[in-house]
Formats: sequence, structure tokens, C-alpha cells
Amino acid sequence: MGDATFSLRRRLWNPEARLAYVLMAPTILFLIAFMFYPIVYVFVMSLFKTNKLSQLTTFVGFKNYVTRFKDAEFWQTTVRSLYWTAIGVSVKFLMGMLIAILLNVNYRGRKLARMLFIIPWASSVPISALLWQWVYHPEFGLLNHSLKATGLVANPPIWLGAAVSAFAACVWVDIWAGIPFFALVFLAGMQAIPQELYESAHIDGAGGIRSFFSITLAGLRDLILISTLLSAIWTFNDFNVIFILTRGGPAGATNILTTSVYMSGFTFLKWDSAAVQAVVTFVILSIVSLVYARFYFKRERF
Amino acid sequence: MKWQNRSKYIAIPLTILILLFLLFPFFVMISTMLKAGEDVYATPPIWIPRHIEWSNFVTVWTQYDLASYFLASIVIAVGATALNTILCVPAAYAVARLNFVGRKFALYLLLMIEMFSPVIVIISLFKIVTRVGLYDTFASLIIMDALFTVAFNTWMMNGYFKTIPKDIEEAALIDGCTRVQTITKVMLPIAVPGLVTVMIYSFIFAWNEFLFGLSFISSKNKMPLTIALYNFVGRWMTQWQYLCMAALLAIIPVLVLFYLIEKRLVAGLAGGAVKG
Amino acid sequence: MKKSFLFRLAVAVLILAVLIPAAVSAKTKVTFFWAIYDGLTEDFRASLESAFNKANPDIELQIVPVKWDEMQNKITTTLAGGMPPEISVVGTRWLLDYMATNSAAEVTPYVSKATLDNIAPGAMEAKINGKLMGIPVAAGARILAMNTELTTKIPATMEEMRAEAKRITKPGKVYGLFMPGKKHTETTDFCYYFYAAGGDYFATNADGSYGKSTVNSAAGVKALTFMADMALKDKIVEEGFTSLTRIEGHPVFYTGKIGYVMIGAWVESGMKAANATFKLKYAQIPPFAGRKQAGLIITDSIAFFSKAKGLKEAGKFIDFFYKDEWKGKFDQQIGFPPVTMSAAKAPFWQTPLYKTLGQAALTAKPWPLIEGWDEFNNIIWDACEKVFQGQATPKQALDEAAAKIDEARGL
Repeated sequence: MGDATFSLRRRLWNPEARLAYVLMAPTILFLIAFMFYPIVYVFVMSLFKTNKLSQLTTFVGFKNYVTRFKDAEFWQTTVRSLYWTAIGVSVKFLMGMLIAILLNVNYRGRKLARMLFIIPWASSVPISALLWQWVYHPEFGLLNHSLKATGLVANPPIWLGAAVSAFAACVWVDIWAGIPFFALVFLAGMQAIPQELYESAHIDGAGGIRSFFSITLAGLRDLILISTLLSAIWTFNDFNVIFILTRGGPAGATNILTTSVYMSGFTFLKWDSAAVQAVVTFVILSIVSLVYARFYFKRERF
Repeated sequence: MKWQNRSKYIAIPLTILILLFLLFPFFVMISTMLKAGEDVYATPPIWIPRHIEWSNFVTVWTQYDLASYFLASIVIAVGATALNTILCVPAAYAVARLNFVGRKFALYLLLMIEMFSPVIVIISLFKIVTRVGLYDTFASLIIMDALFTVAFNTWMMNGYFKTIPKDIEEAALIDGCTRVQTITKVMLPIAVPGLVTVMIYSFIFAWNEFLFGLSFISSKNKMPLTIALYNFVGRWMTQWQYLCMAALLAIIPVLVLFYLIEKRLVAGLAGGAVKG
Repeated sequence: MKKSFLFRLAVAVLILAVLIPAAVSAKTKVTFFWAIYDGLTEDFRASLESAFNKANPDIELQIVPVKWDEMQNKITTTLAGGMPPEISVVGTRWLLDYMATNSAAEVTPYVSKATLDNIAPGAMEAKINGKLMGIPVAAGARILAMNTELTTKIPATMEEMRAEAKRITKPGKVYGLFMPGKKHTETTDFCYYFYAAGGDYFATNADGSYGKSTVNSAAGVKALTFMADMALKDKIVEEGFTSLTRIEGHPVFYTGKIGYVMIGAWVESGMKAANATFKLKYAQIPPFAGRKQAGLIITDSIAFFSKAKGLKEAGKFIDFFYKDEWKGKFDQQIGFPPVTMSAAKAPFWQTPLYKTLGQAALTAKPWPLIEGWDEFNNIIWDACEKVFQGQATPKQALDEAAAKIDEARGL
């Protein structure tokens, strides 16, 4: 209509907005109904002392945070979480993209290839972690045995026995389980990119690599942003892999925030400490998300 | 296209190489599940069992009654996927195409839910579930699984909807469709690969979920498969051959599902639709 | 607008479905969290459940199988969530945590005197402050097992064991001893050496309560130094031990590559599962020279939860379960010596393994019965791992551990 001054009522209640509220209502109501109390309770717990049943006892304000922040190990754990996430997400992203490209090429047997690639993701993470524990076993594991037998590595490390190799071993399992997700997301996204774009680029003389960057990556940009953000959140919170493989050892070398939250809560029954760490996790992830969101909303074509 | 045909000569060998590398633990799994006790613990370890213990399959299936766990997991996974899809598709459309106050807030809220690991909220969720009388029901797990995946799914569908050019929709609207009809008749068919991704993700999440299945269920006939697999990990010993056998069986339904919907993962109609 | 109507309908249905309360049954419901011990068959659990239900038509018993490592998790969630089981198998230590929140109920009002009198007094670890807070369900001491093809020497002291282990070690092929080097839920094997050195985890105050942590006492340092020297200097423990927990490492013993191992009642079923071919000899875990014999004994109990409703009926089940025909079979399946005196008479238990276990139980000490033990276990393990990784000396690591334990207890 060209009228520059939108009344508030118009902005809140136009037909488009009404439809949007109706469409969003089920999801939003569902989430709030179940998650409102638990999430608020986490924040509240962090300000109280709790008993072993996670019930609140005395209000202590920010004292729990102060105690936690004074603990050097907490900071080490947090930094390690960031490393864990950064390495995990980048490798998953790169390999996922590579595999998506490979699986997009048309050939007979592609269906079988796609099915096989899903397998690491199809198996539940705790079970996969157990399986990898078996693979990494110094006596019975086929990994070191095969490395020695084929002569690839003469003296493979005792994977879970030393700090650095344990961390690498855990990171690898997390990456391995997460690659198919990225591959699938990108593969699905590539299907929406019109063939004509590639054809016309080819006619214009652009090679495969050039068109990959200008067409494929451009077309996947939104998905890349979304999937890396979500993967960052999950990777940060992935506690099964480390807990099963090393329980945070050796001597805390693979302990990340989320395993610490689990142990504080379920093993030590110190729920206030777990809540503090969960809130810190939330803050860190929120900061990451906000940065992403600015990127996303700024360049969003709406 | 000739250049496309040639690329498969690079793609196929590279794919095979990467597959061999990635599926290494599965070769170990298959090797282990066919072994009897002494082969499992052979040192140095062997790839091919000295004698193939086919009875492992029978033991795992009958002694541990895997069938009931399978059934339970199927009910939960299908239910969670259905619930997820019903919730996330309309929400994703709203966020992707409609302008309304609170749009950014809604997107951020969805993200916020994902930031809390189930570990720290499970007790509160348990209280809620028991209070509404859903303790020890399939519904409780279906709801939990959907709860932790719907936010992601909405974001993902939002991304897939965004890849569809607006002109297609405008053409449909001009042709007389209502907004809602554009979702069902225009957007969804084109965004089918995205829908496939979302459904597979929901299914896999529910199929492999462990923490809630452990605490929210006490009837054995409602326990999901992930719990059953863990029964092979004892307090003093792990029965690797049975664990591997059961784990392999557990992957099969996921592969079957993927097989059925994989054909939707092909280049959609977006390319030609505008011209029509 | 048809779609939006459908949506509203779907939402209404969903809300209704969620709000429908569970059906109420006329029978009293008893839930029993059943820990899955190795060797326990699903058939046994199912037949126990149906036999009791048939004999007691007004009670509905549900025996819920739960893997051991997840048991504590599940109990914590259901207890904190307000829906605990009536009874559950627990590690005896956990009782203290439950007592701290008044969640554990005293057992004596619910279980018949006959059942209680049948239980060996030595197994009654769950008698806390004079009240019986849990019924022992499995009790096992730890012993020394040896591969007779490698050695048959029964060491009288730790030092003798070390010397013999060194003698039989051929690096790369055969190792004298196994000890786990990776953190797991028990503080073994450190505990074996610690007790053998005469150590105690805590000082005892005049009123009998626990004082400061003494894990860094001379005994503790001696034990950890001894362990580290055997593993890192003598190399009589295989190199990969830092990546092996007890569950992952004991199979190496079953394959015949290790001379001595400190282990429990499950050793024979483990040997069977790995199809081991060599013969075993059993002995007590030796003390250090000049010290008294002191092994470790671990008991599991069945706890009653005060916030549950069907406790009387649960007690009836315990009476039913603890009869020889059921409990005896249970004990034989899991391979742990019976806690009931009547079942202990069966010929099944008159073998060298059980004779040795029985002897060990006479001089064995349990873990300290203290709240928060899991956290201390974690701290002590971190100290051990630090030493095994060469990041600290035993004295440094244990001093740090003792300080952390005291801090965690607010001392």
C-alpha cells in the first residue's frame, strides 16, 4: 500500500502474521510445555545448593559460579571443549562435503554407496563408542594389529592409554559418527540446485572447481551455516563418546564440559555444580549462535 | 553430459577408498560377530574366525528376546518421526516465508532448546512425564525424542525451503492457490530431499536414543533396542560376539528405511518448475 | 483454511492424549530393579517374576532388568523424579547417599526374621548405625589367581609376588602381572595394594566418624609406588595397561599371557567365556612384608525406598526370593558365594575357588562406608592415572588427591 507508518496492530495481526502464528503454535507450545520448567530449573539450581536428589536447599547466589571459576581444571576442561568442537566440526564438514560431492555423481550402484555411507551414523553412539573401544584395544583390537601386519605403522600408539592419542582417538570417533549427517544434509541440498546453472557455467568455460565454488557452495550457503552451527552445538554436548572410551581420562586429559556435567550430576550427585557448568555451556553456545545469527540474518534473502 | 560421465571414473574409486576407510570398524564388527569365545580373544587378533559361529545369531535372538525390543524401537522411532514432521514442516514454512513479529525470536528459541544436553534436564522431564501419567509408556519416549529433534528439524526445513526460488510460489499464488496449498502442492514436493533428511535424522535419533529409554520405561516389553544392546556389556565381562551381532541387527532397520526413501534424494523439480 | 483446522484438531488430540492419566489397577504394584549380573539369564528373571505373581495374586511384581553400570543412573533419575522402585539392587555404598535424603527405608519391618536370620552375619555390611538398611544380595572377596602354566608359586608377600612375576616376564610374550590402568567404577587395583600395606582411606575420629583422608599416608604412597615400579620400571605389566580397565584387561589373562591377576568370583565364568585352556591356582592377595593379610570384599545389597508404596509386599517378595530354590540358583548363575547360610551348604560351593574366597572373606575389609564415595573414587583414580602417565610422583599425586577429597567433604 505504500504507507510508511505501519501501526503496531497491523504488524502483529496482518493475515500473514496470523497464519504464521497458527503454523508455529504447535511446535512452540510443544517445546514450551515440556522444556520451560526443566530449563528454568537448571538456571535456578545454579544459584542454590542442592541435595543429592537435585532438590534446592539454600540460596547462595553466585557463590557456586565463583567456586567453579576459581578451579583451574574447569578452565582447562572448557578450553578443551572448544578444541574438541572446533576440530570435530571442521573435519566433519570437510569430509561430509567431499562425500556429498562424490555421492552426487550419477552411476550405477550409487544407491548402495549411499546406504553404506549412512552406516556410521545409523549405529547408536554409545554402541559405536563401545565398538571403537574394541577396535582400539591394544591386545585384541584389529586396528593396531592391521597397522602392524600391513606395515603401515610399525609401532602404533596405545590409543586410549596416553593423553594425546586418547584425545585424538575420541575426536576421530566423534567425527566418524558425524560425517554421514553432513554428507546427507549437503547431498539433499545439492538436489535443489538447478542443473541449468551448471550447464550454462560449463558452456561459459568454467571448470569443475570454479563452478563448485560459485554454484554449489553458493547454493548450499544457508545449509552450511545451519548445519555447522547445529553440529557445533551437538559436538560440544556429545558426552557418550568420551565417557565410554576414557571416562575423561587419562588423568582428565579428555574431560570436556559435557562429560563433567554428567559426572557432577550422576556420579557425584552434585547437581548445583552440574547446573553451573550447564549454564556456562549455554552461555558459550549462545555466544557462538549469536555470531552465527548475525551472519545468517544479515545475508538472508527474505 | 560428457563431463559428468567422466567424473564417475574419479568418483567411484575415491568412494570405494573412503568407504573402506570409514567402514573399518564394521568389518571388525562382522568379523567379531561370527566368532566363538576363543576366537574373540585370540592374540594376535584374527580377521577370519577359525570356525564360523552361526549360532551367535540364534543365541542373540532367542536367549535375549530381541524381537520385542525391535518392535518397541520401531513404534518409538516411527512415532517420533511422525510427530516431528507434523510439527516442524508448518513451523519451518512460517519461518522461511512469512514475515511476522517474533520470527527471529522463534528461531533463536528453537536453537536455545538444543543447547541443553539431555543429561541436565532429564530429572525435570521425568517429573513432568510422571505428573501427566506417561511414565512407562511409548508416548513418553516419542515425546522426548521429538522434543530434542524438532528444533533442529525446523531449522533444517527452513534452510531447504529457502533454497526454493520464490518465483515458483508466486506463480502458484497467482494461479489461485492459498498459502497453505502452496506448502502441500508446491514447496513440499520440491523440498522432498530436505524432508527425507529430516525424517531420517528423526528416525535415527529415536532409534538410537539411550538415556530416556533407560529411565522412563520399566516394562520390559516397552524397552527400546538400545537398552537390549547394553545388556551384553556385563559388570565383569563384555560378550563382544553377541554385542556385535545384535548391533548389526540393530542397524538393519535404519538401512531399510534409507533404502526405501533414498530415491527421493534426487535432483528435484525446482529446475523445471519455473518455466512451466 | 482446512489445514489450520486439521492442525488445531491434531493439537487438541495431542494434548488430550498427553493428559489422559494412567489406568489404576487393583493389585499392589511392586517394582524391583534387577541388576543384570554376568551369568544371570533372562529366563531366570522371567520365571522368578511369574512364579511370585502366581503365588501372590493380589500383588503385581515387575522385575525390571537394568545393566549394572546404568543402575545408579536409573535409580537417581526415578528417585529424584518422584517415582522410585520399591526395591532395587544397589552397591551397598549408595545406601548412604539415599539415607542422606531419607530415601532409604529400614529393612527389618518388611522382611521376615527367618530370612534375616538365614543370612551370614559377616555379609551384613548394610548395618548402618545399628539399623539394617539393605539386604545383602551378593558378596565377593577378591583373591589372587595364577596361570599354573606360567607359575605355581603362592607368594607370601607382595615383594615375593613381584619377584616371581619378574622371573616369568618375557616382554612382548608373557607378563608377570596384570593391573588395570584406566579409570573405572572401582578403586581397584590400588585398593588391593593399599590394604595390603595396612592403609585406610580415612582417619577415624574419637566418635567413630570419618576424619581426614589418609590416602596419602605412608601406606598409600608405598602401594602406589610399588604399583608404578612394577608397571613402569620392572615392566612386568604390559605396556597397554593404561588403556585397559578391569573388564578390558582380564580377558588378556584368560588368553594365558599373564601370570598373576587379582580378581574375584567371576574368574571361572570368564575363563569359560574365553574358552581358556590352562589351569588356575588360587591364593590370598598377599600383604606387604611385615603386614597383616587384608583383602577387599565388596557387597551388593537390595535397598528399600521409603518413598515407594508397596514396601510390605516387596518384603514378601524378598522372603520368597531368598528361599534356597531361587536364591541358591541365583548365586550359582552369577557365581558369587551365597550370603544365605543354607544355600552355602550346596556341593556347588565346595571347590578350591570358593574355599579361597571364603578364606579371603575372613580377613577382608570393605570400602569405607562413606557418602560421596564415587567422587573420591574418581579423585583417587585421577591420581593413579597421573602416576602411570608419569605426570607426577606417587607422593605428589596422593597428596593432591587427599587434599581434593578433604575439600570435597568440606574439611
